[in-house]
Amino acid sequence: MASLEIKNVRKSFGSTEVLHGIDIAIEDGDFLVLVGPSGCGKSTLLNMIAGLDEITSGEIIIGDEKMNDRHPSKRDIAMVFQSYALYPNMTVEKNISFGLEMRKVDKAVRKQRVAEVSQMLQIEPLLKRKPGQLSGGQRQRVAMGRALVREPKIFLFDEPLSNLDAKLRVDMRTEIKKLHQRLGATIVYVTHDQIEAMTLATRIAIMKDGVLQQLGTPQEVYDQPVNLFVAGFMGSPSMNLLPVTLVKTDAGVAAEMKQASGESVHLPLQANASYERWIGKTVTLGIRPEAITDPGSAEQSNDLVTQIDCEVTVTEPTGADLFVFTALGGEEVVARMRSNSGATAGDKAPFSFNMDKAVLFDEESGKRI
Amino acid sequence: MSNIVQNSGVDSNRFWRVLIYTTLLVFALFYLLPLFVMLVTSFKSLDEIRQGNMMALPEVWTLEPWFKAWGSACIGLTCEGIHTYFWNTIKMVVPAVLIATILGALNGYVLTKWRFRGHRWVFGLMLFGCFIPFQIVLIPMSQVLGNLGIAGTTAGLVLVHVTYGIGFSTLFFRNYYEAFPTELVKSAMIDGAGFFGIFWRILLPSSGPIIVVTVIWLFTNIWNDFLFGASFNAGEGAPMMVALNNLVNSSTGVKEYNVDMAAAMIAALPTLFVYIVAGRYFVRGLMAGSVKG
Repeated sequence: MASLEIKNVRKSFGSTEVLHGIDIAIEDGDFLVLVGPSGCGKSTLLNMIAGLDEITSGEIIIGDEKMNDRHPSKRDIAMVFQSYALYPNMTVEKNISFGLEMRKVDKAVRKQRVAEVSQMLQIEPLLKRKPGQLSGGQRQRVAMGRALVREPKIFLFDEPLSNLDAKLRVDMRTEIKKLHQRLGATIVYVTHDQIEAMTLATRIAIMKDGVLQQLGTPQEVYDQPVNLFVAGFMGSPSMNLLPVTLVKTDAGVAAEMKQASGESVHLPLQANASYERWIGKTVTLGIRPEAITDPGSAEQSNDLVTQIDCEVTVTEPTGADLFVFTALGGEEVVARMRSNSGATAGDKAPFSFNMDKAVLFDEESGKRI
Repeated sequence: MSNIVQNSGVDSNRFWRVLIYTTLLVFALFYLLPLFVMLVTSFKSLDEIRQGNMMALPEVWTLEPWFKAWGSACIGLTCEGIHTYFWNTIKMVVPAVLIATILGALNGYVLTKWRFRGHRWVFGLMLFGCFIPFQIVLIPMSQVLGNLGIAGTTAGLVLVHVTYGIGFSTLFFRNYYEAFPTELVKSAMIDGAGFFGIFWRILLPSSGPIIVVTVIWLFTNIWNDFLFGASFNAGEGAPMMVALNNLVNSSTGVKEYNVDMAAAMIAALPTLFVYIVAGRYFVRGLMAGSVKG
């Protein structure tokens, strides 16, 4: 187990720079998820931590040791690949023990470690089989076993679940989380799936175009996104982003929206000194679907909860909830209501906005105010 | 109505099938005719051959020509048959095939999984080597062999054949390894396997089909080579094909067609054997290699 520090790491292929100075530091036992759309450089960064890609500039430090010029096998890491990369000519047992064998671990010790790991992952009956005879989920387990058996300082996962079907993916997700809790291992995990990122991580690093957008706990990233990209990327359905004008009211600062009918709606905002200088200007209001509810499930005691009647355009029942779509200030807005809230398409329904959870962004730079 | 149409459809289909298979059969038989003549001639006595009926089966089957070809036929001035030359060829083919295959596999491995600047050029030049006609290199090659002090030896011929062989073996292995997942190599690297460790433990065990292709290809080419053998090693250590030529051209009065045919059959049997045993892997391996790359 060890901490990981990535200091101003850059990567260029020829003259094009794909990673523009990444700084990330995590503690021993952290579960770091690198998330972002494809092409954002997250896999490249992982390969650089593993030593499979050269570092153009900057430093990668595992524990207290600089890893830049160290061979992958000497970094004390283990990696689970998206394709699992199981050696097709070896049995499961050989696959798992190969790394130990290469490190000249004693045969008896190897056998024992393989037994422990295979018991932990419940793959004992598969030990004598070849990878070609396994299902996707089984291969996934074997790949994890191969990483676990080495007891490395850091585990690296490169989109390990993306080749599994939806049901299995959720199951394996929980299992990886359990494993992390039990082993207390330091993990770096790459995915493009923001739900995986939220559920697994203790630290999320959101990347876009080779730039680190935000590093924080899942809750921080979700509640206080630093910019419009993070706000839109995390969460499903994604955050409602509406153009509003800030106005001063008796109670403080409020966001003003023009309805299609011409009347304007005021939504009171949290007291925040930095809002003052934006008064009279247009900004982007971000509010999560779950902060817009039916009045029955809103926190009525909160002063910042405002109720507005709007026309429902579409409803999407998910069973547990009802996603209700309406138009506000010319933009489509999604609200998350109880499934029995009774909203029906075409009718007017009351929407409760919990503005306590709202965030504001500068329209031009996309940064949070 | 529709029944009738369907029936006639089946009928015409059957008609074409029969026609196609008949044609194929005729051509196949025609193609096999020389082999047939060789075989029956090699089992006939000289008297029977003189009767002039080339296609007829032997009235009396005899293995005498085969024994003679193997052990006592005259080649030049020595009358010991072709068996020493047969072993000469084995001594040349086996090391040449092994070395060229191993080097080709290593080249393919490096050219796909350990790429270096200019790897395309290197591969291009090796490919180019495949298409240089043998005749062009005869004189420079004999100079090189002379300088190395291995002119006129089996070792010299092995060197020549390895040089020509690695072009093709590299091509085969490169295309095969191109489709081999690089993540496996990365994974083995993290597991602590080195350059040769990955090669021996991961790549080679998965290379069965392409090894078969390469071995068949090289074996056939080197076994059947006449030009290099005749140019660089025509004496005592000459390979089979050169000896066969000498045997046919050494006349001791009577032309012994049966012995000539038997000797030719002996010379062709190993390649025939390799094709029959491993032929289906050959096609399969060629396909596997050509899917990607």
